[in-house]
Amino acid sequence: MGASPKRRSVSEMAVVRLENIAKNYAAGAEILKNLSLVLEPGGFYFVTGASGAGKTTLLKLICLAEAPSSGAVRLFETETAGLSRAARAGLRRRIGIVFQDFRLIEDLSVTENVALPLRVAGAPETEIREHVAALLQWLGLAEQIESLPTALSSGEQQRVAIARALVARPDLLIADEPTGHVDQQTASLLVRVFERVNRLGTTVLIATRDIGFAERFASPRFHLEQGMLRSAEAVAQ
Amino acid sequence: MIRMPFLIERSRLPLARRASGWFLPWIAALSVYVAVLGGIGLVALGDSVRGWDASLAQRASLQIPADASAARLNTVLALLRQTRGIAEAHLLDPAETARLVEPWLGRPIAIDRLPVPRLIDLRVDGAGAADLADLRQKLASIMPDAVLDEHGLLLDEWRNAATRTMEAIAAMLAAVFLITLWSAAATARAGLLLDRPLVELLQLLGAADADIARPFRAQALWLGLLGGAGGAFAAALTLLAVGSAGRALSLGSLLPAGGIADWRVWAILIGATLLAGFVAMVAARITVLRRLARMP
Repeated sequence: MGASPKRRSVSEMAVVRLENIAKNYAAGAEILKNLSLVLEPGGFYFVTGASGAGKTTLLKLICLAEAPSSGAVRLFETETAGLSRAARAGLRRRIGIVFQDFRLIEDLSVTENVALPLRVAGAPETEIREHVAALLQWLGLAEQIESLPTALSSGEQQRVAIARALVARPDLLIADEPTGHVDQQTASLLVRVFERVNRLGTTVLIATRDIGFAERFASPRFHLEQGMLRSAEAVAQ
Repeated sequence: MIRMPFLIERSRLPLARRASGWFLPWIAALSVYVAVLGGIGLVALGDSVRGWDASLAQRASLQIPADASAARLNTVLALLRQTRGIAEAHLLDPAETARLVEPWLGRPIAIDRLPVPRLIDLRVDGAGAADLADLRQKLASIMPDAVLDEHGLLLDEWRNAATRTMEAIAAMLAAVFLITLWSAAATARAGLLLDRPLVELLQLLGAADADIARPFRAQALWLGLLGGAGGAFAAALTLLAVGSAGRALSLGSLLPAGGIADWRVWAILIGATLLAGFVAMVAARITVLRRLARMP
């Protein structure tokens, strides 16, 4: 079970605060409509919805990969509209992302893939080596550290993607369909990994189309339907 | 201590590792080769113009028909020596005249049997010091067939021609500079395209634009310097060959006054190489930053 959000006033502090968000693409389709939500520090959240409900778009807005058509995105109580590119990069460094398609770089070894966030953060080489090796061992990938991603199974690639998202100890961890490529047992194990990270203080947001899977965890859940939240508040189990 | 992070900091991001810019060293080599030869041509031409200034600006010559009598020659010489602004009037003897026409007529020359005009070499005090128009009028009354050559006018023509040549060389150097700039930008664009998945990922991981640009900048600097050094080496070999050929054909070294050892030759060789690297580096940086600015 994920940790409950730390008890503090929502107005005082939020990791993510979306206010009246809408997102349209040039083709005219409205992906998200009048969406507002708040993720509190230390919270563990699911966002559920069918394919095309807008989950991935929502995550892209939170990790600043896209800008909303209207509304405000605040990360760590910083209004992101009009931020300089350097400031946006600074906010992104506080977010770990597990992509649906993993986005592992095929010609980099597992170690080098996982080390990328630390290199971006300018960590010393010795720290990178030690930290990456320890994390890969923790995730059961000690034997694959020099392998290329193409030599790994789908589940192993998934764990490498998770290691990369965790390695820089982000304040917010976002995972897009992290269980989409693995069986139920492995999926549960992965979520346990996220819960352990969450207990260390990282806010976790997992997007999944598998509502049954999300309902197995006593964590707040946002449900998206046709770009709208079913409830403005998280659906607490 | 002056920090030059763009030169000494090792790139931490695994970008620009592919051979996307194979043509940049060749373009840089060609650019530096042309730039060195053009630059040294400019210097050599400048030296020549200064040499003409020094040797001809205060000179004029008077051609007297070969059949002029000694009495008339003396009259002319007397007139010249009385003319204000003329510091010296020297009548060339047959041996001096023979040396002048030797390049065209060969040796030995029986100058006395040829209808070669007598020459009087004039040294004037300075530009405009002598009223050569007035002198020309007076000479017309004494010896109508005498021809006064004012070298200053010829020098002006040469100087104008040299200036036009220098402008053409400068335009060529500018074109070379732009081609190098374009090549480095194209290399950076190709590199970005090859690394696009990684660049997009790094952006999402929070990499600053400058950090993403750094490996492309370092790659362009290295390729520019590599090509530039090759071009400079080839240009140095060409200069040695040109210098040798010039001496063999008795045309002088065809190089700046100091020949291949002239410090300006080395400054151009080294400077053009460094400039190729610098231009490539700056072009790559600007290109990458502009492309990144279009991304979210």
